[in-house]
Amino acid sequence: MTSKTAPDVALLNAHITVPQHVVYRSFPAETVVLNLQTGCYHGLNPTGGRMLEELERSPNVAAAVAAIAECYGQPSSTIEEDLVELCDALCQRGLIEIDGAREL
Amino acid sequence: MALGSFDLTVGLGAIPIRRGRWSWIERMRLAAEITAAYVRTRRVLGHAPIAVVVARLRTPTGCHAGSEQQDLLVLARDLAGAVSRMLALLPGDARCLARSLVLTRLLARRGISARLVIGARATPDFSAHAWVEYDGHPVLPPGDGSFGRLVEL
Repeated sequence: MTSKTAPDVALLNAHITVPQHVVYRSFPAETVVLNLQTGCYHGLNPTGGRMLEELERSPNVAAAVAAIAECYGQPSSTIEEDLVELCDALCQRGLIEIDGAREL
Repeated sequence: MALGSFDLTVGLGAIPIRRGRWSWIERMRLAAEITAAYVRTRRVLGHAPIAVVVARLRTPTGCHAGSEQQDLLVLARDLAGAVSRMLALLPGDARCLARSLVLTRLLARRGISARLVIGARATPDFSAHAWVEYDGHPVLPPGDGSFGRLVEL
């Protein structure tokens, strides 16, 4: 069994917010995300878009993992890896804010 | 005094709101106003987030003396047509966002509160589009109906 690292544990307990300057809309093929501060558009595949929606409405990342794992019928460990990676990518692009003690 | 903060249209009053054709002089003044608004837009765009750009273009605002909504909508559409035609003649960017920003400026000078809408579509290829709406009615073309609304400013 792989032990979780401290930063991952902190992220799982963190709450994710989508800042006001980020807007997104889900389409069948893609979720389009617009960062109004940079003027850049970003695209997420349908799974990524679903993850973003769940991250925004869940109290923390762990709850989002559970919800998505149930939705897709996948192991939580698999979803957790993907979701942590997605959070990293979104945070680096200024598309989410992580409320919790974690340095990326 | 900071550079780039002056209003090129000082002395060019906004064309009054009324029915009927504009005179030759009014059309020339409008062309100058559109050109000035375009210059201002180009100067601000690229140096600030779009929401800040829109806010700056909306100030200072004018007022319309109790004109009816329908008159304002007609005026907004007339101005939209003038903006589109004028920007097509000017060198530089005449695409939807530039048109929308210039029109927003013109409408604000007349006290007409319009919304700048940005939309996008993902298929067949990704594309984004901007247009202006007044009172829920598009005054610039909103596209072919395939653009989902992302944000209203």
